[in-house]
Amino acid sequence: MMIFTTIVLMGLGSYAMRAVFILLLSNHTFPPLALKALEYVGPAVMAALVMTMLLSPEGGHAPRVYEWAGLATAAVVALLTRNHIYVLVLAMGVYWGLGYLM
Amino acid sequence: MPEASSLKSHYGRRGFLDALVLVIPAIPFALVFGLAVRESGLAIWLGWSSSPIMFSGAAQITLITLLGEGASVAAAATAALVVGARHLFYSFSMAPVMQRQPVWFRWLAPYMLVDQVFALCVGKQNLPTADFRHYYLAAGITFWMFWMTFTAVGLFVGPVIPAGLDITFATPVLFMGLLVTAIDSWQKAVVAVFAMLVTFILADMPSRSGLLIAVLAGLILGLVLERLRK
Repeated sequence: MMIFTTIVLMGLGSYAMRAVFILLLSNHTFPPLALKALEYVGPAVMAALVMTMLLSPEGGHAPRVYEWAGLATAAVVALLTRNHIYVLVLAMGVYWGLGYLM
Repeated sequence: MPEASSLKSHYGRRGFLDALVLVIPAIPFALVFGLAVRESGLAIWLGWSSSPIMFSGAAQITLITLLGEGASVAAAATAALVVGARHLFYSFSMAPVMQRQPVWFRWLAPYMLVDQVFALCVGKQNLPTADFRHYYLAAGITFWMFWMTFTAVGLFVGPVIPAGLDITFATPVLFMGLLVTAIDSWQKAVVAVFAMLVTFILADMPSRSGLLIAVLAGLILGLVLERLRK
């Protein structure tokens, strides 16, 4: 029962963190500085998230060469083609290919 | 109006298909969660109940694993909250686009605001209000159904995860693609590279807290670069 209560509280916490600004700021005009900062949230979070996924949750694990190569391929292909299917196929191809060779 | 209804199904379908591409590489992660529940020694229904209640993969794994290892409830909950704290940024980022949405959607949308839904929808904020909502709902519901199903499957088939072909790397690959296509100025490119660098340097910080510092540092850098532009 203790565990279930914890899970329910954590569920409320998870929801609260996702909802807080959406619900509290629903009737507020954003000051210009906040709107500027907002534009950078997407790129900053996505970049940090990509890096987090390469690192093990316990820390300490440095990404391998074929992981860097796969990510670089994804970035270049996205820049040149803007097509996510090409990104997926080519980057995973490099990742698997180099991983197989090494 | 026939035009409106066809458009509705169009964005709903796109949201579903875009989410499906991100669902497939997340399958091993969902199965790993099932395995974590079994290894924790908790009743499996209890562990799985965190899927509909929390709907937050990394935070769920952190909580269940630490509880299973005998950590105190307070310690496990704190670690899981830190892991989930990046959602504060998602909420902030989505606040302006949600202002134009109906109230029921503003209350429902946060429940589905997982990494993948954020990644897909952050670049769609210029869509017309209803199209954005249909896209978001389709992506969110697709991901929700996937997570409920495969975390349950993982409770039973956990130990037989195929190790041969590593598809989980497709998630950072697709996120990288979404990141690059969302960048429309050199300032954003600099901020993205900087945020990656800081996350890398802070890799050893507990419970992914390095990510939070990296994002905050990135936002500050972005504002400084904005000043320079003028």
